[in-house]
Amino acid sequence: MDLSYSDADRDFRQRAREWLSANVPRGPRPANGAAGAQFDRDWQRRMYDGGWAGVAWPREYGGLGLTGLQQVIWYEELARARAPAAHVSTTYVALMHAGPTVMARGTEEQKAAHLQRILSGESLWCQGFSEPNAGSDLAALKTRGTVDGDHIVVNGAKMWTTDAKHADFMELLIRTDPDSQRHKGLTWLICDMTTPGLDIKPIRTMLQDEHVNMVFFDDVRIPVSNVVGEIGKGWSTALATLSFERGLGFIADQLELYERVGRAIDLAGKVRLEDGRLAIEDDGIAQRLASLKADTLAIRAMTLADIAETDRTGMPGPKGSMMKLMVTTTHKAVSEVVGEIMGWDFLEFGGDRSATPWTHDYLWSWVFSIAGGTNEIQREITADRVLELPRSR
Amino acid sequence: MYLAPEDDELAIADAAADFLADAMPIERLHGAAGPDLSPETRVTIGEMGWFALALSEERGGSGLTAVEHALFFREVGRQCGPVDMLAQALATHACKADDDLRAAIVAGEVGVGLLVADNGRYRLFGTGDATYALLASPAGASLHALDDAAIEERPSLDPANSLRLLSGLPEAVCELDGGSVWALGQMGVSAMLVGLAEAALDLIVEYAKVRETFGRAIGSYQAVRHTCADMAVRLEAARAQLWFAAAAHKEGRADAQHHIDAAKHLANETAMLCVDQNIQLHGGIGVTDEHDAHLLLKHAMLLTRLFGSKRALLGNLLHAEMAD
Repeated sequence: MDLSYSDADRDFRQRAREWLSANVPRGPRPANGAAGAQFDRDWQRRMYDGGWAGVAWPREYGGLGLTGLQQVIWYEELARARAPAAHVSTTYVALMHAGPTVMARGTEEQKAAHLQRILSGESLWCQGFSEPNAGSDLAALKTRGTVDGDHIVVNGAKMWTTDAKHADFMELLIRTDPDSQRHKGLTWLICDMTTPGLDIKPIRTMLQDEHVNMVFFDDVRIPVSNVVGEIGKGWSTALATLSFERGLGFIADQLELYERVGRAIDLAGKVRLEDGRLAIEDDGIAQRLASLKADTLAIRAMTLADIAETDRTGMPGPKGSMMKLMVTTTHKAVSEVVGEIMGWDFLEFGGDRSATPWTHDYLWSWVFSIAGGTNEIQREITADRVLELPRSR
Repeated sequence: MYLAPEDDELAIADAAADFLADAMPIERLHGAAGPDLSPETRVTIGEMGWFALALSEERGGSGLTAVEHALFFREVGRQCGPVDMLAQALATHACKADDDLRAAIVAGEVGVGLLVADNGRYRLFGTGDATYALLASPAGASLHALDDAAIEERPSLDPANSLRLLSGLPEAVCELDGGSVWALGQMGVSAMLVGLAEAALDLIVEYAKVRETFGRAIGSYQAVRHTCADMAVRLEAARAQLWFAAAAHKEGRADAQHHIDAAKHLANETAMLCVDQNIQLHGGIGVTDEHDAHLLLKHAMLLTRLFGSKRALLGNLLHAEMAD
């Protein structure tokens, strides 16, 4: 067991800190929408030009090929510099899902067409996995694809597609064998969002925004050359993405939480309660904040323990689900105590994340504990793979 | 950077687990063995050198670190080991001057109990055979001779440790300034709580695989599975923070004490969650005297009160600054 950083890692932290302090965008990210997406593209381009894009990507695909530990350092420095949060960026799917999947299963042509454009912020991606009747139970998906010459003709609907309106491409999972069941007969496709027959209908959420959408497919013709992996083997391709997400996908959130609790403590030192005391002088509030601080230290320790394991074995373990449970419950608890600290001000919310970030993030905590596998599904995965309990289904 | 036991650390943990499963298995608490550390077991442990893992070699120890100390006491916790074990180990650090006394403590030839201040009185945990007792605080540690002390026996909730009361503090035979013994005590008891919580989770997971209701193993019901998953998540967090704290102490990091406070707080919360849910999910058998579940609960209730109350730990943590 050791906590020491090598000279190379310390040097890396110093270089990251210096570059970020000179380059992090001043001012908040615009509220969701086209301006937000443009902000994300610009920030990604800035990182790309500065040589800081693709921390998790191998060098052969233009990334930095960092070790897990160096990625931790990078995300810690991002959080410290108050850089735009990775998890709300429209670049997230491209960098964390689509790019890694194309690297793992794509053809040379697909790699050449997409990877560099993702890294430079030129193309944004969205995820077309969930459907109205296939969310937690993804393998129940029904959107159909019929091979017609050198095209696949797609009909159906996708649900909860984040930032579909701003994306250039979609990672699309469909059923190409109409007689197939469950995980068989699926195909993973690259779908150009300008293809005729696509219709995007925004879903207004309780955050007063429209960043998630339904996407309807009416005879959408996608070239067979856009299949990633093999026709009928889409589940295998999709799993390559999911294991990536459950491995390192939440690093940014994990490490941002410590800073978040620090901001909540600062806030409690300034805001007065209805009885005139500072919020931090209230034992209940102070104890909850300190306890959450301990939780965020533990999350950092869990991250480092997991990274150590992953760097040695080369494979993320099954603990990503436990991490997501720990991170999402802690995130929500921080928002709850801040709600108590802020009193009536917490109820002022018009949908603008930058104007009222705490209330926004409180509402967002349900997105966090549902999207990417609900907390209930994460508990099922933990029970199956970590505890090896008898299956529930 | 590697935040998990490795190489020699794993070998020490395995050796400790084997030794303790033989020398003081949790089953002893259902038999005639009685509470506390028996003089015979104490001498055996002393001969093996387990009391002096983190003590320097020139003072008769193994010259290892807080990491091995934590790994050993995690295994002690798994067997619901008495807190005399920890008092004995800490006393080897508290006595700088008296080489003969320290050597006798290292060897287990004299016994050391644990003293805790209680509103002007002192609680004493450990065997009646003990001739010394250790008192530790964040400010320092002292060793006290019990020869002439007026000691009142009290009934003990915890079958693993007897409970006695002293109306005053006997004179110190040696004193040590600074928080080094306190820190080792915090890590030792945190490790015991983590091991105890692991034992509780193991018990319910194994039971859930074989116990059937309505024709199915209870481990296939989500009400049981999800509770076990939550226990596992909190345990993962408490264990990771314990490793971080022990490694931070070993490396002399400036923020080590903050990480130790966090580790103790997380171990407290996690252990109480796990012992509670272990009883609940076992159903009726979980509240019987013959089962281990209540042993884990009652020992956790003692351990969570030692080396830092919730109020004190959280007070320290609120404004603590962490290094990179």
